[in-house]
Amino acid sequence: MISFIRNENMKIYKRKRTWVMIAIVLLYVVLQIVNLKTAGSDAVNDNWRVQLEQKNVQLRQEASKSDALNIEIKQAEKHIVLNQYYLDKDIPPSTNAWTFAVSLVRNIIFAVSLISIIIAGEIVAAEFVSGTIKLLLTRSASRTKIYISKYVAAILFGLMLSVAGILTSIFLGGFIFGFDGLADSYFYVKNQAVEEVPMLQALLVGYVLNIPFLLIVITLAFMISAAFRSTTFSIVISLLVSLTGFIIAIAMDGWSWTKYFVFSHTDLTPYIYGNPSVDGVTLGFSLVFIGIHLAVMYLVSYPIFVKRDVV
Amino acid sequence: MSLLQIRDLTKKVGNKIIVDQVTLNIEKGEILGLLGPNGAGKTSTIRMIVGLMSKTRGQVLIDGTDAHTHFEQTMKHVGVIVENPDLYKYLSGYDNLLHFSRMTPGVTEARIREVISLVGLEHSISDKVATYSLGMRQRLGLAVALVHKPSLLILDEPTNGLDPAGIRELRGHLKHLAQKESVGIMISSHLMSEMEMMCDRVAIMQKGKLISTHKISDMEEDERLQVRFEVDRPDLAVQILQTLMSGDEITTDQRHIQIRIAKSDIPEISQKLMASGINVYGVHTLKKTLEDIFIEITGGEDH
Repeated sequence: MISFIRNENMKIYKRKRTWVMIAIVLLYVVLQIVNLKTAGSDAVNDNWRVQLEQKNVQLRQEASKSDALNIEIKQAEKHIVLNQYYLDKDIPPSTNAWTFAVSLVRNIIFAVSLISIIIAGEIVAAEFVSGTIKLLLTRSASRTKIYISKYVAAILFGLMLSVAGILTSIFLGGFIFGFDGLADSYFYVKNQAVEEVPMLQALLVGYVLNIPFLLIVITLAFMISAAFRSTTFSIVISLLVSLTGFIIAIAMDGWSWTKYFVFSHTDLTPYIYGNPSVDGVTLGFSLVFIGIHLAVMYLVSYPIFVKRDVV
Repeated sequence: MSLLQIRDLTKKVGNKIIVDQVTLNIEKGEILGLLGPNGAGKTSTIRMIVGLMSKTRGQVLIDGTDAHTHFEQTMKHVGVIVENPDLYKYLSGYDNLLHFSRMTPGVTEARIREVISLVGLEHSISDKVATYSLGMRQRLGLAVALVHKPSLLILDEPTNGLDPAGIRELRGHLKHLAQKESVGIMISSHLMSEMEMMCDRVAIMQKGKLISTHKISDMEEDERLQVRFEVDRPDLAVQILQTLMSGDEITTDQRHIQIRIAKSDIPEISQKLMASGINVYGVHTLKKTLEDIFIEITGGEDH
């Protein structure tokens, strides 16, 4: 099995195109730094108290607008509570490598997911297009082995690229904002109160709890690739679904019907560092809901791949 | 026990029977050619043997083991080239070989080097396959098929698109493998003269059925041959021959007559002709080619 995954990895990483895609993700991190730097909000100066107070006033105004989305109101409330906490405890907010990385984790995984769609959408279908599937399936290996090794290779690509993205954000963030602050706490709002955890824990947990999005998106692309043998179809459909899913999950945050919308369950961080958007939804419910979606996708693609006549 | 036993192999798609109860054996060291017009079911038969296609009925045994229920075990001993060898163009020749040799346990680095030199790709093995000519790809395909030392080699139309030198080279490799390493080889092709030179036995398929098998050596021992006399007065010659051998088919054109007789009859007939004042300029025995047999059996349609 290991040698099969090595084969798939070889086919992924010996292509120049893969490295271009990896470079895009790293470039995305750089752009985020530039964005933050030019916005100038990283400067901690003596009148930070005044700034925070102004910010809170501004947030209250925005939240009370009639056209404000659910999520905007909730985000504003959280920020107000957090800012008030900084003011009360006299903690000047700072930007450093670690806070930058924590704030970027979700976006990095989102960007990596979109890039991984290309890999996962190709990994089976491209073998049919190039005709190499005939050689691949006439060696001493069951189709199940080949299916699993390809899926594992696609998932590993996504996981490793997100780790690379996070490491890049730490290192580049460190050069720009400094590496200090690892010993600081990460503050978050849960049940209207501010709580804190060590920074590194926040980073790791944030990474793990965003993986469901990566899993769902890669599995979708892989499923279409294995079942329909079309690279283009797989990539286009998966990109559309994941983009709209991601956006709808944000825009419709808090609506009760999103309880049954898979992309509202792909970021599990609220269960730890916040409150779930819909009351009564538990971590267990989200995990089962994601599991069902993954299972359905395997059940569609696996039998088709294993039974298909290669002509 | 035969190396490959195919029993009652059948493939139905909808109501259409694509392969109809094919039963065939291949022995160690034997090269068997699978012939047939387009759509006869050759490719489907081969794809069922190697597991690319599911079968409706029947059995494929490799070394006595069922190739369907024990796919991984049996395929360890099988090398396959299906049509043009499609390889990973963005990988080097070596990486392609490495990729496929990893799929069978026990293939060593030394064995990989060995097949590279066997097919003569030492100098270009680290180049990307995208830069290879068709002949080089064919050789790499052969190396991929051979790297795990299979005892059965299955090739579907391997000569497609090869130039005469490439075909000759392939023939040399296959003959060597069959004779020196007693590899059993099944090869499908539409190049009759090639198959005649390469194979020990041919199986002819038509409309999904296996209609006959021939040993190439038998064909040469056929007692009656087509004999062609080059003469100056064919009309007269026909009259004389008709008295000698009534009922037999005699064909003629302006300068030749052609009859089907035993080799031992040639001196007598030519003496008779000359005695009647007909000048005989030449006598040719026409060996019956595989193509003749093929046309005879399949009725020449779709060929």
